[in-house]
Amino acid sequence: MSTVGETLKVLHPLVAKYLRSERMPHMACPGCGIGQVVHAILLAIDELGLTPQDTVWVQGVGCSSRITYSTWVGDNVDAHHGRMFAVATGLKMARPDMNFICFTGDGDCGAIGGNHFIHACRRNLDVTAILFNNGIYGMTGGQVAPTSPLGAVTTTTPYGNIEDPFDMCQMAVAAGASYVARWRSTDFKPLANSIKKGIQTKGLAFIEVLLQCPTNFGRYVLKTSNPQDVLKWIKDHTVTQKEAEKRSQEELAGKYLIGEFVHRPERSGIVARYQEFLKLHQKE
Amino acid sequence: MSSGVKPGKYFVQGDEAIAEGAIAAGCRFFAGYPITPCSETSETMARRLPEVGGICLQMEDELASIHAVGAASVGGLKAMTISSGPGISLKLEGLGWGIKNEIPYVVADVQRAGPSNGVATRVGQGDFYTVRYGSAGGNSSIIALSPKSTQEAFDLTIECFNLAEIFRCPVFLLTDETVGHTRELLLIPEESELKVVKRVKPTVPPEQFLMYPLDTPGVINYPFPNIGEGYGICVSPYTHNSKGYASTAQDMQEKMAKRLVLKVTENLDKLVRVEKQKMEDAEFAVVAYGGNARPAIAAVEMAREQGMKVGFFRPIIVWPFPDGEVLKVAEKVKNILVCELNIDGQLSREVARAAKGKAEVYLLGSGGVEPHLPAQIFHEIRRLYP
Amino acid sequence: MAITIVKDFCKGCGFCIAYCPKKVYDLSDEMNKKGYYLPSPVRIEDCTECGLCDFYCPDFAILLEKTKKKSKTKGKEGR
Repeated sequence: MSTVGETLKVLHPLVAKYLRSERMPHMACPGCGIGQVVHAILLAIDELGLTPQDTVWVQGVGCSSRITYSTWVGDNVDAHHGRMFAVATGLKMARPDMNFICFTGDGDCGAIGGNHFIHACRRNLDVTAILFNNGIYGMTGGQVAPTSPLGAVTTTTPYGNIEDPFDMCQMAVAAGASYVARWRSTDFKPLANSIKKGIQTKGLAFIEVLLQCPTNFGRYVLKTSNPQDVLKWIKDHTVTQKEAEKRSQEELAGKYLIGEFVHRPERSGIVARYQEFLKLHQKE
Repeated sequence: MSSGVKPGKYFVQGDEAIAEGAIAAGCRFFAGYPITPCSETSETMARRLPEVGGICLQMEDELASIHAVGAASVGGLKAMTISSGPGISLKLEGLGWGIKNEIPYVVADVQRAGPSNGVATRVGQGDFYTVRYGSAGGNSSIIALSPKSTQEAFDLTIECFNLAEIFRCPVFLLTDETVGHTRELLLIPEESELKVVKRVKPTVPPEQFLMYPLDTPGVINYPFPNIGEGYGICVSPYTHNSKGYASTAQDMQEKMAKRLVLKVTENLDKLVRVEKQKMEDAEFAVVAYGGNARPAIAAVEMAREQGMKVGFFRPIIVWPFPDGEVLKVAEKVKNILVCELNIDGQLSREVARAAKGKAEVYLLGSGGVEPHLPAQIFHEIRRLYP
Repeated sequence: MAITIVKDFCKGCGFCIAYCPKKVYDLSDEMNKKGYYLPSPVRIEDCTECGLCDFYCPDFAILLEKTKKKSKTKGKEGR
C-alpha cells in the first residue's frame, strides 16, 4: 500500500503543476518553514485558478526570496535587497492585468526596504505580499533583524538585542493596505485561505507569516537546532486577537497577535485610480 | 496608441526637450524624484505622459525610481528616470540590476556642481566617471551620450532609447545644468522623419529561447521577452546562467562578465559619434562636452581669428570612450586642451590615456557653477599654443 | 490510500514523524542521496487521511493519495 517513490518519477501534484522540477528540492534548510508557506501559496493559486501565464512571482533578497526565485513555472522577477515593492510597482503599473505574488522578509521589508513597503501600502498597490518573518537574518548567517525579539542573542547582538521588534502589520494598517493579516507557517488552511482572500482583495494584501528558522533563530536565539522547538516557541508567543482581549498587558508582552487585522476592499489604490486618471487625461 | 510626437518649433529648456525626446522615442513609463536641476523633466513628463497613455510616477525616492523603471521595462514598457549627481549615486545599485539582466531603459544625469549636494542649481561635470564605473562590481560596459544643446537633448534622448533596445541595456544621457536649463529653439520633426527602434521579441518558442545569450557574448539586437508573454522569464540581481537561474560557478561568472562587456566592446563601430570643427589643419585641439562645448567652440573661433590653427573635438557618445578618434586627433596636433567642469580631471584623464603620448594633454578644470567663459579658454589656448 | 515519500526531496526534518496525530511514521534505515534517513509510514493502517503530514512537510516530499475525499488539486473543499 505504501511505497517509497523515485524523485521526479513521482512529484507532489502542486510541484508538478506549478514549480520547475529541475529547481527542486528547493534550497531551504531542513525544517525551515518557507516550504510550508509556499505550499499554502500554491494552494491558494490552485484554488483560485491563477495560472503561470497570468501570475508573476516577485522577490527581494533573503531566504524567502532566494529560495523561491526561479521555482515558479511562470515569470520570476527578483529585485535587489529591499527593492521588491519598488519593482512590484513598476511591474504592476506596466501590467495591471496580471497577478503578482510578492515575497519579502524581515530586512527586505522592514529595514532596507522599509520606505518602499510603506509607500506600496500608501498607494495600496494591487499585489499580494507575503512577509516571511523568522525573526532573524537567515541568508546572511544569523544577524539581528528589525523583527528580532527584545533580548535575542544573534551574531550582531551577542549580548542580547536592546531594540524592540517592528510590528509591520500595524505599519501596513496605518499606511493604508487593504488587507492585513498575520499567521504562522503551521496555520496551513487559515493561511491558504487568507492568501486567497488577499489575492482577491483589490489593493495591497500584506500577509505576515511567522515561521521557524532552525538554523539561525533556533541556534542563536533559542540555543536549539531542533525545528520543533522553534515551532513551539512560535506557538507559545502567538495569541489570537480574541484571546488577547482577555489577557493583560503583561501577559501579552513579547507576544504576536495573529489573524486578520483589516479588510477594506473599498479603499481604492493607485492601479485602479491610474486607469481612471488616464480616461480623463489621455488625449490620443 | 499614438506616438505623442508634436512636430513644430518650440522655445524650451533642455530638460523639457529630454522629456519630449523620450515620448517621441516611445517612452511610456517615467519614475523620478524631484531634484534640481532636472525636476523640469519630471514635471514635463507628468503633464505629457498621461496625454499619450503613459505612466508617470513620482516615487518615494531615487532608488524606488530606478527600480520601478527597470521593472516597467521588464513589464513591457520603454522607461526612463532622471536625476543629478547625488541622486545618480543613489541609483547605482539599481543600475546594476538593469546591467546584469540586460534590461533596456534610459537614465538621464543632469550634472551639477559637486561633490555631495554641491550647488544644486548650478552646473558641474563631475559624474563622467560615475556613470561609467559607479555601479559596483565592474564587468560591464556602459553606453552614455551627451548633448550640448536643447536640440541635441531631444535628438540624443531618442538615440539613447534606440541604443538601449539594440544593446539591451540601460543607457545614460549624460548632460548638465547648463544644457538642462538653457532655453532655446527646439525643432521637433514630423514623426515620419524620426527613427525609433522597436523592442525585439523572440521568434522561437519558450523552450528554445535563452533569456541571456551568455554563449554568444557579442550578439546585439537580441530579443527581450517581458512578463506575461509566455516565456517564464527569470530576472535576478545575482549572477545567473542563460536561463536566469542563480549560479556560483566560476565559469558562469566568467561568461556573464564577458557577455556584459563584449556586447559593447565587440560592437564599437556602432558606438562612435564625435563632433569635429576646424580639425583639418589643426595643430592644437580643444576638447569639451555638454554645456561646456559651445564656450569651447567660441574660444576656438577667437583663436582662429588670431591666426592660430586650433580645432574643436567633442565626444557625443562619451562611453564607450572614442579611443580611436582621440588617437587620430593626438597624432595630428601637438597639444590638446581639455576644458571640463571639475578639478580632478576626468575627461582629460581619458583623453590622455587614449592619446598614448602622441600629444601633450592639458586640463583646464573648474569647480563648476558656471561653464567656462570663451575668454578663459582662449587665454589658455594662447598660453599653451606652441 | 497511498503514501509516497519523494526520496530525494526529504531533508530529514522529522515533522511527519513528530506531528502525525496517529504516529503513522517512523524513521527508517534507508538514506537518500543527501544522507538523510527517510521516514516511512510503518503504521499506515492507522492513517486517517488528515493530510497534516502533507502540510507539515516543508519540501513537498510526501504524497498522500486519498481515497475518502476529492483529489486535492481539483477540489474546492477539503484542502
